[in-house]
Amino acid sequence: MSFLDALQTSASGLSAQRLRMNLISSNLANVNTTRTEDGGPYRRKDAVFKATESQTAFGDQLNRSLAGNQLEEANVGVEVTEIRDDYRPPILKFDPSHPDADEQGYISLPNINVVEEMVNMISATRSYEANVTAIKASKDMASDAMDIGR
Amino acid sequence: MDTHTLFDKTIDLAQRALDLRSRRHEVLLSNIANADTPGYKAFDLMVEEALSRQSPKQGQLQMRRTDEGHLPAGGHDASTAVPRKVALTPQVTLRGDGNTVDMDREMSALAANQLQYRMSTQLIAKKFQSLHNIIKGDRQ
Repeated sequence: MSFLDALQTSASGLSAQRLRMNLISSNLANVNTTRTEDGGPYRRKDAVFKATESQTAFGDQLNRSLAGNQLEEANVGVEVTEIRDDYRPPILKFDPSHPDADEQGYISLPNINVVEEMVNMISATRSYEANVTAIKASKDMASDAMDIGR
Repeated sequence: MDTHTLFDKTIDLAQRALDLRSRRHEVLLSNIANADTPGYKAFDLMVEEALSRQSPKQGQLQMRRTDEGHLPAGGHDASTAVPRKVALTPQVTLRGDGNTVDMDREMSALAANQLQYRMSTQLIAKKFQSLHNIIKGDRQ
């Protein structure tokens, strides 16, 4: 069913952008976090996106071609392959009264640029909205097709 | 389905247009879903080009499939023509991740494609409506 595939493609875009948004929220919430389970300050997290290729075997392609349906499947979704920690070193701040300060009196803070996170947030929101619009378009097309026999 | 005896070619063509437009819709959805994927190359289906291909002229010889096992040959008819799949190359790109999706282009193509799809559905619906009127005659 082609329309369900179409919705699946957009849904993969929605969930990828939502995950990205969750990571941005987490980065913003932990902008001052100095303790984590792994030890050391919180590290900024980012999602790595990858296009999910539709795997078409030669035999399938040939059979589809013989059936008169000569177009290969076009829908390519998106998936999050990994959630990567940022490599940037933590920021050192002189604060001897802090319980996590080292012998010299410095604490390590996460290297998170709030402005950068805000820009990413806008980008994720817009991409999410684009996928929502695409789903609306798919639904409208499906209902147009249903109206043929009316 | 060969409907040429009762109907003309309009329904066949509109049907093919619907098929190709829904496939192009899926292509556009893929581009939109992968707007933030590094290295993703945007592509498109040349639907208009495939639909405007001329049917073979009178007197021209055409390959014909006489067995189910034969490979289809010579798809020059608009009702069977396959649209070309082309990669889109933007003239100006400001991003360094190798992604070639132009969001403005994709969204406007999505809207245009949707309207053209609706046009074809309306065309088929009106066609059926007029056949219905003919069949019913004045017994409304």
